[in-house]
Amino acid sequence: MNSKTKKALTISITFLVVAVATFGLYKSAGQQAFIRTALSGLTLGSLFFMVAAGLTLIFGLMDVLNFAHGAMFMLGAYMGWQLYTNPTFIFGMLPALLAFATGVMVGPAIKPYLIRWEISEKWQKALPRLAYALAIVLFVLSFLKFDIMELAKTAMVAVTTTTVSNPLAEISPQEPLSLFWFRPVLLLLVGLLVAFAVSKPGDKNEFAPLDKPLQKLIFPAVLLVLTIIFTLVRESAAEAILLMNGNWRFVIAIIIAVAFGFLFGAVTEITLIRPLYVRTFFIVLMTLGLSFVIRELVQLLWDPLAYQMVRPPLFAQPGKAANLMEWLRNGNTTIDIYGVTFPTYRLFVIFLGIVMFIFVTLLMTKTRLGMIIRAGVQDPQMVEALGINVKRVFTFVFAMGIALAALGGIGAGPFLPIQPLMGDQYQMQGFITVVIGGMGSYVGAFVGAMILGMARAFGDYFALKFSLSPAIAEASTVIIMVIVLLARPQGLFGKKE
Amino acid sequence: MSDHNSQPDLLVVDNIHTYIGQFHILEGVSVRVPKGSITVMLGRNGAGKTTTLKSILGLTPPREGKVIFDGMEIQGKQAFNIANLGIGYVPEHRAIFRALSVMENLKLAERKKGDFERHSDFIFNLFPDLKRLYKLPGNHLSGGQQQMLAVARALVPDNKLLLIDEPSEGLAPILIQQMMEAIRVLSETTTILLVEQNFIMASQLAKRYTIIDDGKSVHEGMMEILVNDTELIHHYLGASIKTRKELEMEHEFQD
Repeated sequence: MNSKTKKALTISITFLVVAVATFGLYKSAGQQAFIRTALSGLTLGSLFFMVAAGLTLIFGLMDVLNFAHGAMFMLGAYMGWQLYTNPTFIFGMLPALLAFATGVMVGPAIKPYLIRWEISEKWQKALPRLAYALAIVLFVLSFLKFDIMELAKTAMVAVTTTTVSNPLAEISPQEPLSLFWFRPVLLLLVGLLVAFAVSKPGDKNEFAPLDKPLQKLIFPAVLLVLTIIFTLVRESAAEAILLMNGNWRFVIAIIIAVAFGFLFGAVTEITLIRPLYVRTFFIVLMTLGLSFVIRELVQLLWDPLAYQMVRPPLFAQPGKAANLMEWLRNGNTTIDIYGVTFPTYRLFVIFLGIVMFIFVTLLMTKTRLGMIIRAGVQDPQMVEALGINVKRVFTFVFAMGIALAALGGIGAGPFLPIQPLMGDQYQMQGFITVVIGGMGSYVGAFVGAMILGMARAFGDYFALKFSLSPAIAEASTVIIMVIVLLARPQGLFGKKE
Repeated sequence: MSDHNSQPDLLVVDNIHTYIGQFHILEGVSVRVPKGSITVMLGRNGAGKTTTLKSILGLTPPREGKVIFDGMEIQGKQAFNIANLGIGYVPEHRAIFRALSVMENLKLAERKKGDFERHSDFIFNLFPDLKRLYKLPGNHLSGGQQQMLAVARALVPDNKLLLIDEPSEGLAPILIQQMMEAIRVLSETTTILLVEQNFIMASQLAKRYTIIDDGKSVHEGMMEILVNDTELIHHYLGASIKTRKELEMEHEFQD
């Protein structure tokens, strides 16, 4: 049997199974229940996909099992929620972060000159260490007497007291600029010291051409301007965002969560994971440890409580919309879909999941970066031998995976309680999704996520209908995994080893 | 070894030592590659020829010794930086990217935008088959087609030096002929460092040779002298390798 008929056969069998399963469920559940349950399944599937897509890409390309994925999902939810509810914390931290980034980004511009510096081997070793030591001292100095807890608690207060009539009621004053200005300045110096250290002054083995020195300064210059702007508007920006239309605020919250996830992922990869590629097993332990650290930090900052994020106005108006247009005009909480009342926010999550799948698909198939990733999954050494900086691609993929997880987190924010353990369940489901779909396949992640979401939803439905234990729904994921692994050990879309 | 070359050396590998894990794989390998011709590395399986190529590229960086490419010391630099200096690599076992189509495989090798467009005529003249298979995914190609793609991939950017690892491995005789012809055409424009088990192919293509045995380079010189030195060949390369002279004798015997 050649590969073409085999493929056709596989597709037709799959189609048949899906059709029979759909029809069977439709008949046994009835139209209304079927639609409602299927939509719930899609909602869950979308969330599973956002977690699993990052996991599978990261695992496929760099063999890293990221056990901190759930924690990063949770962190995305917290960041989005903070911005949405009371952005004081985010704007209080932003100038410092930007200043640090500005300093680090000067690195590529000074590196070509530093490595051509003629110094003895002793100094080559000593200088970076001195720079790091000084950086740590300055870092501690810059955060001396910085009341980060107070800053973090502002959003908590905003939740516990109703501030619908006056959103600014709970905004707490920040440090005056006369006191604050030295923090970004010190962090800029810290960033510069780190840039100096990682450039390895005097190291002859490093490689950096001298061309285009000014072009490399554009990016840090932009960051510097942003730092100054955000230092000046720390308080007014928070107020401006709170006075904004809630829908736009939610869009900004999503962007902040995703950007934060991306940066956090990039920094994690560069500082924690990159040194461990030679010992892959330790990466698992490291990410597991990282997940504990993140969880404890979040508990420290925001107390181990569960918060309910207020839904954006587009999904908040009580009442049922008759169709899509009416919902978009009035912003109802629920919408009528073929006689079924369904929460509009969940519809938005399904939409988000599908958009993300299309985005990932386009990225992987249409761009050069996607080409590099697909090639790197098979043979990263050969990609490097073609003259491509594979390490940078690794960083990007890790950062993108974390950004997707953070997107899942903020997406789930308005209908899941926001609490330190909210990501764990999704991480588990994400791992199972990856196993079912096949390691490294984003299509597999999507199909696997949808199967799991559906199984979960219909499991719940039938458990309720026949008054069985709801544990059946939870067990269904594992049962599906077992069946798939028995039939196709490499997963549905996995490649044979 | 008193042969004098008129051409300067494009690549000099000077007494490198490479470790993989705790294994000392290369224990002093030196290779000289003069500009504008083919140099071949000979040696038994596991002698360290492939590791030498990978050490040059920085994929398995040497711990000691020097690698000088185009007058610049490149040992210890990162592999992608070394490749970007203008070194193309054709790995053994036809390591093309199976998940990518032929076109994507070639496009991926671009270092500057438009590299592929500039060289596509040259590549498709050399390997006309590839033009027909342009859209096919890599895992649908036959062994010979994969090998052609692997060589073609190294031709997409402007390379000063090509490192080619066992291009004839597992190919049918007619394809070996085609591959030999392609490499000969390539050697007119670039410098090539070749690893080849097929001694006949190697002896017809290469101008210079270096023999590597047990992780050390033990012999080097001009190919035209080696082909007649049956004893040296048998000592280092094994009795299974037949020189051209022996083959000719066999041929006459059959007649």
